[in-house]
Amino acid sequence: MPIEIVPFSAELRSVVREFNGRLDAAGVEEGLRLPADPHAEMLPGSQSYLALEDGVVRGGYTLRPQKFSFRGEIRCVAHYRLPVSEGIIDKRFALVGALLLRDALQKEPLLYALGMGGYQQPLPRMLQAAGWSLSPIPFYFRVVHPARFLRQIRAARGSRWRLLLMDLAASTGAGWLGLHAIQRLRTHTAAAAFSEVAEFGLWADELWEVVHRAYGMIGMRNAEELRQLYPQSNPRFLRIQTAAGWAVLVDTAMRGDQYFGDLRVGTIVDCLARPEDAAAVIRAARVYLEQRGVDLILSNQSHPAWMEALRADGFFGGPSNFLLATSPALRKLGVVDWHINRGDGDGPVHL
Amino acid sequence: MNGDILSEVCGVAADVFAIDALSLTGASSPEQIEAWDSVQHLSLVLALEDKYGIQFAPEEMERMKDLGAIATLVRTKIT
Repeated sequence: MPIEIVPFSAELRSVVREFNGRLDAAGVEEGLRLPADPHAEMLPGSQSYLALEDGVVRGGYTLRPQKFSFRGEIRCVAHYRLPVSEGIIDKRFALVGALLLRDALQKEPLLYALGMGGYQQPLPRMLQAAGWSLSPIPFYFRVVHPARFLRQIRAARGSRWRLLLMDLAASTGAGWLGLHAIQRLRTHTAAAAFSEVAEFGLWADELWEVVHRAYGMIGMRNAEELRQLYPQSNPRFLRIQTAAGWAVLVDTAMRGDQYFGDLRVGTIVDCLARPEDAAAVIRAARVYLEQRGVDLILSNQSHPAWMEALRADGFFGGPSNFLLATSPALRKLGVVDWHINRGDGDGPVHL
Repeated sequence: MNGDILSEVCGVAADVFAIDALSLTGASSPEQIEAWDSVQHLSLVLALEDKYGIQFAPEEMERMKDLGAIATLVRTKIT
């Protein structure tokens, strides 16, 4: 039977569940499932598509068209999200992955994918084979409570942090407990006043209008978009405002996490200011999270000014498996200074 | 004509999958060739598009179940 790609509709929920059930039975990792209720599970504007063979789901993907500013020119770019194919458990369907990708590109030539877990995963390999451009979104961290951090990292099963810290201790000549002192020495930013805000208002629109032309590529961050990304109804999202910009933060108390043990992890999810004001926003975000009592602060940032702001505030860089993939048509636009972070793509769902 | 194209398609597939072209036939499919996964399937599609200067539409790609079907599809696109 031929395979046809159709938009998700409610009456297809049961066959999506059957598809997911086959992946469950084959032991496929939990993150690779099609949403059985896309409207409830995904950001507004998302549209899921299913590859159907005689009424049986063989794969699917989601597109989330978003407005991006390219130095002030607003264009639609779509997030290519979570393509899953039955080809991962049954080679008869090896063609489905390519079919999904080609279908998505036909619908929206300007596509990007984000995250994906590292270069060796199937999706980045496929995108690379299709001529997409892949690059990691740099990862930064700052340890607030070194003793607690080291105790928890030692207990955590994942070895990534331990390896990273051993490298760091060796390269700086300091023991692990010297981290705190090194971070303080590396901090060169001035104090910045800030206030916690409950919602994004007119002030966020005004800031967006002033700053978006300064970036080669940046997802729309006006007040309306920010209220969708970080709804007031979700108490996880913390918002601070400074004279120059804003940041959205998450403060998560981990419990037996594979990488973080029982640490309290603060994340600078999203942020905006003129590039020259990035340092003030990063410092304010860091101080706010420290005051809340987090043990560790993380951020993924792609723009040179925000990366420099993190370094100037004593953050260390580490290996990143948070990848940005851009379609050939998007790559041809020649953007270099994009501002992409954990607020893009799926949003901060995995933090 | 189709035989010639089939042997060319087998040659391209052999390069993509890094296997001996003589081991491939029109009936060769992902189930029989270990290296033929989703990523390599896409690589094969792109290699064929490049070789013949053609582009496959999604509705054509869904018919690519084995090398014979792919050769038939290529033939219809170039004649």
